[in-house]
Amino acid sequence: MQEMEKVMMKGRAPQNADPNKFSFVQVDPAKCQACGTCDEICKTGAIQPVGKDEKRHVLDPAACVNCGQCLVNCPYGAIYEEVSYVDAVFAALKDPNTVVVSMPAPAVRYSLGEAFGMPPGTHVGGKMHAALRKLGFKYVWDNEYTADLTIMEEGTELLNRIKHPSHHAPLPQFTSCCPGWVKFAESYYPELLPHMSSCKSPIAMLGPLAKTYGAKETKTDPAKVFTVSIMPCIAKKYEGLRPEMAASGSRDIDVTITTRELAYMIKKAGIDFKNLKDEEADPVLGMATGAATIFGTSGGVMEAALRLAYEVLSGDKLTNVDLKGVRAHEGIKTASIDVPKFGKVNVAVASGLDNAKKLCDEVKAGKSPYHFIEIMTCPGGCVNGGGQILNPSVRAADAGSSRILAAINKRLTMKAQA
Amino acid sequence: MSENMECTRRQFLKTAGCAAAAVAAIGVVGGMPGVVTEAQAAELDLVSRRQTGVYAADANPKLYKLRKSQDNPMIKKIYAKDGFLSDGPCGHKSHELLHTHYMDRSASIKALKAKGVKLKA
Repeated sequence: MQEMEKVMMKGRAPQNADPNKFSFVQVDPAKCQACGTCDEICKTGAIQPVGKDEKRHVLDPAACVNCGQCLVNCPYGAIYEEVSYVDAVFAALKDPNTVVVSMPAPAVRYSLGEAFGMPPGTHVGGKMHAALRKLGFKYVWDNEYTADLTIMEEGTELLNRIKHPSHHAPLPQFTSCCPGWVKFAESYYPELLPHMSSCKSPIAMLGPLAKTYGAKETKTDPAKVFTVSIMPCIAKKYEGLRPEMAASGSRDIDVTITTRELAYMIKKAGIDFKNLKDEEADPVLGMATGAATIFGTSGGVMEAALRLAYEVLSGDKLTNVDLKGVRAHEGIKTASIDVPKFGKVNVAVASGLDNAKKLCDEVKAGKSPYHFIEIMTCPGGCVNGGGQILNPSVRAADAGSSRILAAINKRLTMKAQA
Repeated sequence: MSENMECTRRQFLKTAGCAAAAVAAIGVVGGMPGVVTEAQAAELDLVSRRQTGVYAADANPKLYKLRKSQDNPMIKKIYAKDGFLSDGPCGHKSHELLHTHYMDRSASIKALKAKGVKLKA
């Protein structure tokens, strides 16, 4: 076990393994206080009391969607990550025959700075690019580019479904960017899979493009390209290992690390992150728009898609791109957007799988009035992902507040069970 | 027993957050700053601070010159007539590289439930 940004990592680094066969998070019984915070946070019931002392345990990998919300909300730091590719990335960076390329997600840059004492929400995209180059990444490609590409693909797919809905491609269309949500739908709502956009997530698009288009544009031997997915998310480690993610002819995503693991690497390399000068990503697979960066928050994929759909459906330019009606802090938000020459586009945005269930049940019952539904597993979206820098107030064990909350919660749960 | 006996941690935090904000406001009005600062109250809502950062960056032309995916020059380049994805969004090559299929995984959930495991979904 190794500690990285206050989270214990077991450090398994599976390659070509079936990610359904093991857990990505697990509970350390030596640290678990059986407070039940994780039970309450978990929306699938994958984490449950076991045995007489009721210490928690992730029961079966099949039930868990790997979101890691249990881990980031545990007041005792009792939940650890099974998988870490940090050693593999350091080794690849040292190998002269390997061309290591970066693929950071939008939300990473709004949390990474917290590891270096900067306020939450500070955009550190420029410093992050500079740090990746200092670490030795040959090409600093950025997942924000493929967020823009996802809008083109997923927006076009939506427009096709609106024009010609069929039982293969019915309305509403669900977003497919969030790997926790995709596994949740596959496991718990398989009848809704025809509603799921056939688009891969932005990272699952960037992987194969890096090894085909990116290699071509940079005149690199594709066999030497080593793709590093950098995510605010633990479920992206599962997604990177999905057997079908091999469209380029080899593994599209060689390894996946989290925001915390990137912060750990930057510190280990002795890089003075706070004083780095901003740098841009390498443009060919790195240039991005504001529509891409908002993918990291609940409502962002929807707003970005509407900025395209509006113009295509109406034939007009969208002058005010701030579609605040779909910006969702938490929970469910619905909106009806008037599009000239088309009519109303009805949309819904949900984060948290308890909220997702409500929208899924509506679709299942044939009563969903929406064209497009965005789902993110973590409350508030990827900015609150299970791979982000921990919220210091959750582990405020020194101040005692979290432990008091946990103790109160435990007593109330026990009373309710009595 | 009844569900309404449970005060969840999230509800508790929300209440605590409101209380902290109220104390902060009283602190300012009553001229006794420093009991609970506004910064501390805001710390309770880390997620909204990160979300605020996202929307501020989207609206900041120094960080993002353009705000629509279809206007990105590198997006235009890849879909151009002589580009890598010359048959356009959802074209043949896109389907090969950028689209996928999903798998019904409900059998393993059913198997768990058959063993008596209680799940929430």
